[in-house]
Amino acid sequence: MKSKVALIFGYNDYALEIAKNIKHNYKEVYLYSLKSQEDSYKNSSEFEIRSFDLSDKWGDIDEFVDFESSIAFCVLEDSAENIFLTISLRSVFQNLNIIALSNNKETANKLKMAGANRVIPLVQTTAEMISEMMEKPIVKEVFHNILFENSDLKITQIKMYKKSIYLGKKISDLDWERHGIIALSIVLEGGRNEFIYASKIKNYTVKEDDVFVVVGYERDILEFEKRIGSDV
Amino acid sequence: MNFLRRRIVDFAYFLNTADAYQRKKQFFYNLLENNKFGHKKYFDFFMIALIFFSVAILIVEVKSDVPEYVKFFNVYVISIIFLVEYLLRLWTSSSVSEVIINYSEHDTMLGRKFNLFRAFLKIVKTKFEFILSPQALIDLLAILPFFHELRLLRLFVLFRVFKLFRYTARFRVFISVLSTKKFEFLILLMFASIVIFVSSVLVYVMEANNPKSPINTLFDAFYWSIVTIATVGYGDVVAVTTEGRIVAIFVIIAGISVIAFTTSIVVSAFSEKLDEIREMKTIDDIRTLKHFYLICGYESVAAEVASKLKSDNLTIIVLDESQERIANAKKDGLIALNYDPGNVESYKKTGIDFDMQVKSVLCLRESDVENVYTTLTVRSLSKKVNITSLLMDDINRKKLNFAGVDEILYPKGLVGLISKELIGRPVAFEAIHALRNDYYGVNIEEILIDGRINENIHYVGELLNANFKIVLLGIYKKDKKRFFFNPLKDTMLESGDYLLVIGKGTFIKEFERYLHKKSRV
Repeated sequence: MKSKVALIFGYNDYALEIAKNIKHNYKEVYLYSLKSQEDSYKNSSEFEIRSFDLSDKWGDIDEFVDFESSIAFCVLEDSAENIFLTISLRSVFQNLNIIALSNNKETANKLKMAGANRVIPLVQTTAEMISEMMEKPIVKEVFHNILFENSDLKITQIKMYKKSIYLGKKISDLDWERHGIIALSIVLEGGRNEFIYASKIKNYTVKEDDVFVVVGYERDILEFEKRIGSDV
Repeated sequence: MNFLRRRIVDFAYFLNTADAYQRKKQFFYNLLENNKFGHKKYFDFFMIALIFFSVAILIVEVKSDVPEYVKFFNVYVISIIFLVEYLLRLWTSSSVSEVIINYSEHDTMLGRKFNLFRAFLKIVKTKFEFILSPQALIDLLAILPFFHELRLLRLFVLFRVFKLFRYTARFRVFISVLSTKKFEFLILLMFASIVIFVSSVLVYVMEANNPKSPINTLFDAFYWSIVTIATVGYGDVVAVTTEGRIVAIFVIIAGISVIAFTTSIVVSAFSEKLDEIREMKTIDDIRTLKHFYLICGYESVAAEVASKLKSDNLTIIVLDESQERIANAKKDGLIALNYDPGNVESYKKTGIDFDMQVKSVLCLRESDVENVYTTLTVRSLSKKVNITSLLMDDINRKKLNFAGVDEILYPKGLVGLISKELIGRPVAFEAIHALRNDYYGVNIEEILIDGRINENIHYVGELLNANFKIVLLGIYKKDKKRFFFNPLKDTMLESGDYLLVIGKGTFIKEFERYLHKKSRV
């Protein structure tokens, strides 16, 4: 039977951190290793280690993975192998959501070309975080709490449904702040993210299926969603 | 005699332990000798100005009359200032009281009677070492124009120019670079001296008895020899006999070699010392900086951090023990020094003042061992400075904390957290990511409410941020370490609060200007 699982390719600290953080979102989390015997021996984590190679033999995965809802992480330490793995997965599984880790911009571009849906540029992300710690420590702390910690303040996506009272209104006329919510951006057709503070979209008219990224306290967001008849 | 001896030793101890005396002595020492001392540059400028003034008067005096008061200033006031400076240098060059104490303690330990005469000889010897040093001799000669009635002594004003060496570090560098080639210059000097001596004698012998020759004395021959070997060739004194001209040919050839040799020595001295000179210049520049980030270790994360901070016009200094990595940092346009960040000596040599100059130390080696080592070194020099470090293996977190790191960034953990966000709220995560990185021109900024702003703006409603198309995300109360999201209009603002605002970068700047402008009203 096919189920929603997370496949993490590569057995290293990155893989274990990812597994630890996403285990509640998936029915099963499997770690795939190129040296599964050796890694199984030293594995002290709760996750099962499976074997794989780069030979395009994905028969067993095909049997139990629901590709619509599952996810694959490519975190092999060797960049060339990681790119090869990504292209190999994409060539076989068209609908699989693939997130890959890259060490530099060049690898990030190649991973995208190889078919990764998202790439985490490790060096860049770390550097961004450090420079934000230096320049905007409060922004860093607040967003870190909103994104990664169990804060009451949440950032979430709200979708506009048919019966929403905001359909047909201009973005500049939205008054969500009085409901305790601040809208940050809108996802336009094609997945393009536009900040609602950008002057070029201030006259945009809200349409059905538009998705807004909002910040607010959990209870305010839930109440607001009820008000506009939306699901998260 | 015993009584006198005891009184002298007592007085020496008194001077050595008198705070006021030692403070004053240290102050004058710093003013005269310590390049790191803030006031020294003003003193140096003042002395340089006096020197140029003095030389200018000497030049003007040749053909014009100089007012009496200017002469008085030049001869007496400047000379007295130089005399005082000379005496201060003599005083601070060594400690008389310390010599007496050392000799007294030495003799007491050996059970001997304190030999005042030996201590006196040592003091005289030490002071004479200073008096006879080239720089002190120049100082002394520069005072001599005081006795201006002796016309020749007036020319000693020119010795004041040599004093410039004391006040300008660049001159000292020039001399020190050339002094590295002392041996080569000595060989060259010997060669030139032999050529000059032999050619002078030869040309004198060949030319002196020829009535048509302008070389009649040994001094003429010597003068001709110098002018020829230097390849100057004025032409006022020339050899007229065939024998004399043959000598001239040899001297000219020797002259070309001397000039070529001299040039090559100077060039090689500078090229060998070029890196050192550049390093000294960099260190000088660092000493003048007010605030900068110190990056210890220049690897991939450090390069990316430096590029981001640099793009925001922040000053960054990089220290790394690897020449290759330092070369990369320099290629990236950064101020970089090839010093080991884990070594206390590196900070002594560079004169970095952590408490006054460094905004934050970033230990960004991709090795926990190196980062712990650097942290301990920096912490041993400053308890206050903020230290942020990379953590490569979570098992070492405690060690970094124990070493004294204020903030730790663990990239592997970050990847885990980001992965969670990417699968849960991908759009929201992307939005925040774009906002933090100023994509699309929309930015999030923190604005400090200082006392001046707070004098005029007391409540959130008075901020009028909507007029600037800016959204107030919230207020961060630093003392309470709490963030108040979407505050109500009647929320009170206090000095020290931070506003977190979102909007176009230009509008945020305008809003900030408005807040400060309003605070001036």
